[in-house]
Amino acid sequence: MIDLGTLALRLGLATAIYALVAAVLGGGRRRADLVASSRHAAYVVHGLVAVASLVLWRALLARDFSLEYVASYSSSTLSLPYTIAAFWGGQSGSLLFWALILTTMSSVVHLQNRERNAALMPYVTATLMALAIFFLAMLVFVTDPFTRLPVPAREGADLNPLLQNYWMMIHPPSLYLGFVGCSVPFAFAIAALASGRLGDVWIRTTRRWTLFAWAFLTLGNILGGRWAYEELGWGGYWAWDPVENAAIMPWFTCTAFLHSVMIQEKKNMLKMWNMVLILLTFCLTIFGTFLTRSGVVSSVHSFTQSGLGPFFVGFLLAVIVVSIALIVLRRPLLRSENDIDSFLSREGAFLFNNLLLVGLAFATFWGTVFPVISEAVRGVKITVGPPFFNKVNAPLGLALLLMTGIGPVIAWRRASARNLRRSFTWPLALGFATGVAIFAAGWRHYYAVVCFSLAAFVLATIFMEFYRGTRARQSLMGEAPGAALANLIGRNRRRYGGYVIHLGVVMMAVGIAASSSFRVEKQETLAAGEAIEVGPYTLTHRGVRSTDSPHVAALVADVDVTRGGRAVTTLHPEKRFYKRQQQPTTEVALRSTLRDDLYVVLGNYDAQSGLVTFLVFVSPLVAWLWIGGLVMGVGTIIVMSPTAAEQRALAAAMAVEERGLEPALR
Amino acid sequence: MTRNRRFIIGAAIIVVAVSYLVYVGIRETSVYYFTIDEFLAQGTALANEDVRVAGRVGADSVDWNPATLDLQFRLASFEEDGGVPVSYNGILPDMFAEGRDVIVEGTYAGGTLQAHTLLTSCPSKYEAEVPGT
Repeated sequence: MIDLGTLALRLGLATAIYALVAAVLGGGRRRADLVASSRHAAYVVHGLVAVASLVLWRALLARDFSLEYVASYSSSTLSLPYTIAAFWGGQSGSLLFWALILTTMSSVVHLQNRERNAALMPYVTATLMALAIFFLAMLVFVTDPFTRLPVPAREGADLNPLLQNYWMMIHPPSLYLGFVGCSVPFAFAIAALASGRLGDVWIRTTRRWTLFAWAFLTLGNILGGRWAYEELGWGGYWAWDPVENAAIMPWFTCTAFLHSVMIQEKKNMLKMWNMVLILLTFCLTIFGTFLTRSGVVSSVHSFTQSGLGPFFVGFLLAVIVVSIALIVLRRPLLRSENDIDSFLSREGAFLFNNLLLVGLAFATFWGTVFPVISEAVRGVKITVGPPFFNKVNAPLGLALLLMTGIGPVIAWRRASARNLRRSFTWPLALGFATGVAIFAAGWRHYYAVVCFSLAAFVLATIFMEFYRGTRARQSLMGEAPGAALANLIGRNRRRYGGYVIHLGVVMMAVGIAASSSFRVEKQETLAAGEAIEVGPYTLTHRGVRSTDSPHVAALVADVDVTRGGRAVTTLHPEKRFYKRQQQPTTEVALRSTLRDDLYVVLGNYDAQSGLVTFLVFVSPLVAWLWIGGLVMGVGTIIVMSPTAAEQRALAAAMAVEERGLEPALR
Repeated sequence: MTRNRRFIIGAAIIVVAVSYLVYVGIRETSVYYFTIDEFLAQGTALANEDVRVAGRVGADSVDWNPATLDLQFRLASFEEDGGVPVSYNGILPDMFAEGRDVIVEGTYAGGTLQAHTLLTSCPSKYEAEVPGT
């Protein structure tokens, strides 16, 4: 059975190499038979990777501890969901998982485009197969998931207890879908460069793929934050650790790309910029994968040196060299056909939004690699921690929040005084009023005041858009308010879905600003029966008890919570002890409301005196961070749902490109 | 031409602003990062400096008072010899134990590292130790 997996990986590698060669030859010599053959080969690669994956999953479920991977990341008492998740819990499994997602996406792309984009597809196939070759080669030659132990282990070492958490089951797959999803627009970008078809067909064809990748990048980052919040026990959700930065950097550039392609679709501008952004996004996904596996940057997550680093660096360099060479080659075709007329225009706003997002990515990148650079240049390792990222990224993030309000409603080309008055008078007034009100209420936290004012400004612009659109439909079409609103969104999904996403962004911004500025923290050692006050809550320690199961033993404290004299709940923070890994972990007790989160950690238990040290956080509005994420998801679904108008636009773009470019290519 | 120039100026302002933020951020928040061996080689030159030091918790060196949350231990080299005394007050990280790799952040004063932060490296997510048979 295990040999089947090894065989499938090797055959997959060989087939992928064939598919690459056939696609390049077929595309270059315009041989339809070779192109078709490469497409079929790509399906076969997918099938073989799927077989290898099933073999590994079967070995995990059959608890085959003769396999090094199974013995290292699972155990006989590990529950079923985590046994399935152990597939991506370790190095080689996660690479196999990557290859599985990549080849699955490759098959979907080939199915979608088997009758379309004949000029682009050979190079799309070639690019996707080149990526598959890299990952399959790693799996075959460097880190084989099917390595056997010299002597089968009697028992597995178990999955790291920190990973035995609900969010950790869905966080990595989500992030992988986002990372790997970026490969599809990247492949089309490379194909557009290689074939010289640099109109907006590649952008329109991959719009939904880009949104898909972006949605999962967003989700993956939020779920990662949620995991950190519940599992790490320090009351926060984001620490600017290199591993987190690796996940957020492609999100910044991907978000920039999603916005700037609108300018290309509408105005035929920023072609070069869009190309650079998507290539950069893809490079950042590979860089992120490298960062988390190479041990180059020290992270609290401390990934051991694994020997994969040099391969990833080589691969990344190859991608960069090919991308730059193609861009230089096609520079004349990437010229913009229009100029920006004025700062005060939608084009201008989008450009600033882009610069801010790239600035965020750059600052994050610089802070992440700074220790490596300072060591190379000055011979001393100098690190920057979360204060650096907060200091740099908070103002940039606030400026971005401002653009969230301005960008969607300012006029194209050149905003007139009338347009500005009509769009921004009320939102500005509301924003100022909010700021003044907060200031008058005695809150002096500078960033939070600015953030809340901007949030009010953006909310007002979004609300006015919905309100005016609905009113217009009511009077023009004579529709009832509810129907008018539904039709407004349904007929303009990209626009109003985008507003819904922005609404989610505002909620998240408010949640982040409130919870990071006004969090109350208290650490106290209590005997049974003693109480402490934290923020509006009174916590009474009732005593500790222990529980036991074959997999995990735990020490549980019972804490009664009252607010304003009224009993609210009883919380049960735990100290768990996972038996196989011989390691204690903290299980946070959480009471979440829309107003604030009460977060209790059992920090320390002294068996002799019976004293328990609690760490308690009260974080206001933090729930809005997660709710905002959900709203962003709803908005993304609206934006992604297909419309007839969009299909027509894609068909029209394809027709233009066929007419315009065919002679030039000959 | 003037139009383009205006935009280049606009873009340059953002680039300069980002660079300035990065520059100031690094100047104000950067901390020397040493392995314990590098730290010991520097010795007293680092008196009263903020440092971040990676090392291993020395064998038989942990003195932990659960009632007061006072912790003393020796931050030893990865070969588990030599080292510098560390004092810390607070909740012990879950994975703190003798022989574990830790990162200590704090001030070096009077021959002792006064730690304000104590980080333990997770056993890696990606490479587990091969279990014994």
